[in-house]
Amino acid sequence: MSTLLTVRDLRVRYSVRGGFVDVVHGVSLDINRGETTAIVGESGSGKTTLAMALCGLAPIHGGEVRLDGEMLKQDRKNRLNPDRKRVALMFQDPVGSLNPRMTVRRALAEPFRIHGSDAQSPDKEALRLLSMVGLGDDFADRYPHQLSGGQARRVGVARALALRPDVLIADEPTAGLDVSIQGEILNLLSRLQKEMGVGILMITHNLNVVRHVADQMAIMYLGRFIEQGNSQQIFDQPRHPYTAALLSANPSPDPDAQSSQIELKGDVPSLLQRPSGCEFHTRCPRAKVQCRNAFPELTATNGNQQFNCFFPMGE
Amino acid sequence: MNPPVLDIQGLSINYQTELGPLQALRDVNLVVPEGKIIGIVGESGCGKSTLISAIIRLLAPNAQIKQGSVNFKGKDLLSLSPEQMRSLRGDEISMVFQDPMTSLNPVLTIGRQMSDVQHRNTSSRSEKNARSLMMLERVGIPDPETQLQRYPHHLSGGMRQRVAIAMALMAEPALLIADEPTTALDATLEVQIIHRLKELQREFGCSILFISHHLGVIAELCDEVVVMYAGEVVESGSLREVFIDPKHPYTQKLLECDPARIAQPTRELPVIEGSLPNLVNLPAGCIFRERCSHAMTRCSAERPVLSGGHHQAACHLLESSP
Repeated sequence: MSTLLTVRDLRVRYSVRGGFVDVVHGVSLDINRGETTAIVGESGSGKTTLAMALCGLAPIHGGEVRLDGEMLKQDRKNRLNPDRKRVALMFQDPVGSLNPRMTVRRALAEPFRIHGSDAQSPDKEALRLLSMVGLGDDFADRYPHQLSGGQARRVGVARALALRPDVLIADEPTAGLDVSIQGEILNLLSRLQKEMGVGILMITHNLNVVRHVADQMAIMYLGRFIEQGNSQQIFDQPRHPYTAALLSANPSPDPDAQSSQIELKGDVPSLLQRPSGCEFHTRCPRAKVQCRNAFPELTATNGNQQFNCFFPMGE
Repeated sequence: MNPPVLDIQGLSINYQTELGPLQALRDVNLVVPEGKIIGIVGESGCGKSTLISAIIRLLAPNAQIKQGSVNFKGKDLLSLSPEQMRSLRGDEISMVFQDPMTSLNPVLTIGRQMSDVQHRNTSSRSEKNARSLMMLERVGIPDPETQLQRYPHHLSGGMRQRVAIAMALMAEPALLIADEPTTALDATLEVQIIHRLKELQREFGCSILFISHHLGVIAELCDEVVVMYAGEVVESGSLREVFIDPKHPYTQKLLECDPARIAQPTRELPVIEGSLPNLVNLPAGCIFRERCSHAMTRCSAERPVLSGGHHQAACHLLESSP
């Protein structure tokens, strides 16, 4: 499996009145060709900011990102400058991310107009993309408001994959969709991934989705990855107490399921006042004195699972 | 047993559109017994939102109530004057909306908004404040005194939704309508909110009408479930009846599609083939026929009606096999 995108110690810092906040606080990650890596975490944990930074839409404060081994340059505003033909983004709000005054045809032809391409005609390409995502030619002349949520997502998928990128960053690709439509979109992404070999970074808080489609996963808390690795392995044996709580919190549709939910007390601390030591100690059911005073270094298991915890689950 | 808090019978609602009337709800029956949590499950476009808007009488101007009754504690809500209706909203019937970001006023403090919803109460400002404080404590907001001075943007999504719940329960309503209150939240917060809602429901003894397309949340919270498809109720019963032994082919499909139910990870997730029928030109017979793998000739001719005891489903299969 070849590594496409290598992220090392990436930081995103915003200045605020009287100081700064580190929204992404030293994140490292690999995205492999043909694989899906999922990032899960509560809102405000920095998932979307990470996606934006990787696409060059948010300034970075430190760290490096390599695409196929080549270091990405930064522009004058410290934003990464990836080749946009190679790194594509699928936005969270499918209707909001389409121009309301552009027909689907124009929206889909736009990437070709901007980047120029050897394709015969952008209009023809637009129709090809539509059929690729399972929409008929009659959708070409519709406007975004004439699309349902699922259809708008399909257009979003088509537009993101138009220039055959190597990496697709999908921010909440199924949020707000019904289970059946959600299945359709995920199946579509899986099929296209197989055909095109694109590496997908999927941001979501739907753990049921992650379990089915992700090869690798990373759990984000206050801008850091507190655990990452093979998703099957993490689902089978989460090591960080936060991961364990997150996985156990997933409500089961089986009325007879024995509820073994680990309920976390309190709220996510503010990024402006990061807790000392292990940043999860304020809510952790396993926290001891040590957790308040020292930051737990990264522990790696033999099966590529990594976590930051002094008292991991199962020990 | 006390009479139900909410009793909807034969409700049909059309929307006037350029192409003709869109039949958004057809002959919907729904009963919310006292002190119970009823879940409404269904995909977008199934009429959930129209149904709630009809109950609180906030339908879009192009909606037209064709027939039916909405009975709330013995009053027919459909025949009340706008003034009478307004005095019920936020007092006896209150609502928690999907998006806690937009349901609070961004330019007023939490405290001001919480006092404002007590406008019917003639007590002094300090008494109202004390009550707001107590409610914030009840929903588990840390340091409530400080929070009263803060604005919605200071609070996280989970806190905002708890504030919205506190405000909705302030008047101790008989019926709380919650429209996908946890979709904007993450798993751990979702569980927190659901547990809190369940506790508060026991404490206040109100009934809850809970709308969601998250089957796990419904299973966690509700006593009874109503399944809607394309403007009709296709199945209803207790949570266990519907989730463990679904009778209607749509309910069966919907449950099968839930990735949470599929133990073995798969890249090929099940879907319900086809799309929703056009509600302007309704097909004859069963509304789910075109997507149903069990469809028979009878299904295209005759519309099935709900049958069965407490656990009801509208499907011809159930009539032919006793």
